[in-house]
Amino acid sequence: MAHLQGRGIAVELPPGFEGRILQRAPVGGGIPQPVVHLATFALPPGTADFGGGATPLMGPDDVFVVLFEFGAESVGRELFRAQGLPRSVRPSELSPFRLRRGIDGQAGGQWFFTEAGRPFTLYVVVGSFAARARLAARVGELLAGVRVEARAA
Amino acid sequence: MLAVVITLAVVVGLLGVLVTGLLRSHADIVRALHGLGAGVGDPAAAPRAGPGGVGVGVELRLPAERSAGVHDLEGTTPAGDPVVVSVTAGPRTLLAFLSAGCSSCAPLWDALGDPAERGLLPPGTRVVAVTKGPEWESAGAVASRAPAGVEVVMTTAAWADYEVPGSPYVVLVDGRRGVRLGEGVGRGLGEIAGLIERAAADDGPPGASRGAPAALGLDGPAREAHNDAVLRAAGVHPGDPSLYPRTLDDVLAHPER
Repeated sequence: MAHLQGRGIAVELPPGFEGRILQRAPVGGGIPQPVVHLATFALPPGTADFGGGATPLMGPDDVFVVLFEFGAESVGRELFRAQGLPRSVRPSELSPFRLRRGIDGQAGGQWFFTEAGRPFTLYVVVGSFAARARLAARVGELLAGVRVEARAA
Repeated sequence: MLAVVITLAVVVGLLGVLVTGLLRSHADIVRALHGLGAGVGDPAAAPRAGPGGVGVGVELRLPAERSAGVHDLEGTTPAGDPVVVSVTAGPRTLLAFLSAGCSSCAPLWDALGDPAERGLLPPGTRVVAVTKGPEWESAGAVASRAPAGVEVVMTTAAWADYEVPGSPYVVLVDGRRGVRLGEGVGRGLGEIAGLIERAAADDGPPGASRGAPAALGLDGPAREAHNDAVLRAAGVHPGDPSLYPRTLDDVLAHPER
């Protein structure tokens, strides 16, 4: 099982998954936050934060997951009230209408939460709406291996 | 006077023997490197093979004595981002083991950075440049060589996993079957594309024609037992002198034994 770790986030990748933890260069004085990309297909270099450039390459059996951290100023906001990273995804939570960019056949979902005092959004895309039950199980298998450390004060 | 001449003659003779021995030793080393698939000389100076490809001295192949196993790449990007590349995430992955400071690698770095050359590879072939980790390679130097549009992973472990003898070296992985299709010294994408096309045309089971324990997926004790059985069938039993070569000539003179 491959291990991905950096910036206070660790992921035990189930077989067939790959991933990266990246941090964009600062733009306009903003403080860049970590973005985690996890996928069952070959992630192209230059994949946008929420999968632009990657999700069109997905096959019907593929899964794409983003863990996107927000700045510390978001801690305590209503949007991030839910505590803890979702460890499973229900098939009913995956819909073609929840995709950031609608692609025929695909479905997705998005969740906002706070884990270890850090505000995140989890964005999931599955390659086939019809196979969402099976693919949601794969997402759950992946999420079970994600660990987030609290930021040092 | 005569004694001085004789002494000098003896000294010259001894030096001649010494130089001959050194030259012979050098030749043994060069032959051994050839046997491992490494190029000799500076391939950067080699002439281009033709449009879309640069010269390649060694045919890509999967030597029988090498493992056919595949391994995901765990490392960092030149920017320092942690990354895991799964070689089974795509149908075919071409791993190009390179170094930023190696002049022999320059033609392949350049070829990987040229979209027209990359276009020679069959569609669906993922290219990943693999350098040693930041403890061996300067991340800045790798970043300056990293071609746009090509994943670059810095990982020393992968060099050990894939038993890479030197750079440049390429390994072609069949992601669907989880096996290596071929490997060797490759500096031109034209020749590598040819290898991939031949591999794609081969519908047989992986490794079936290689007859090597590694190609059969054997490892550890099973691999050792397989090797023993092959040797016994060939009439080579424990204690056979051929099992204990004393010079490189003993090995190189009978490569097929």
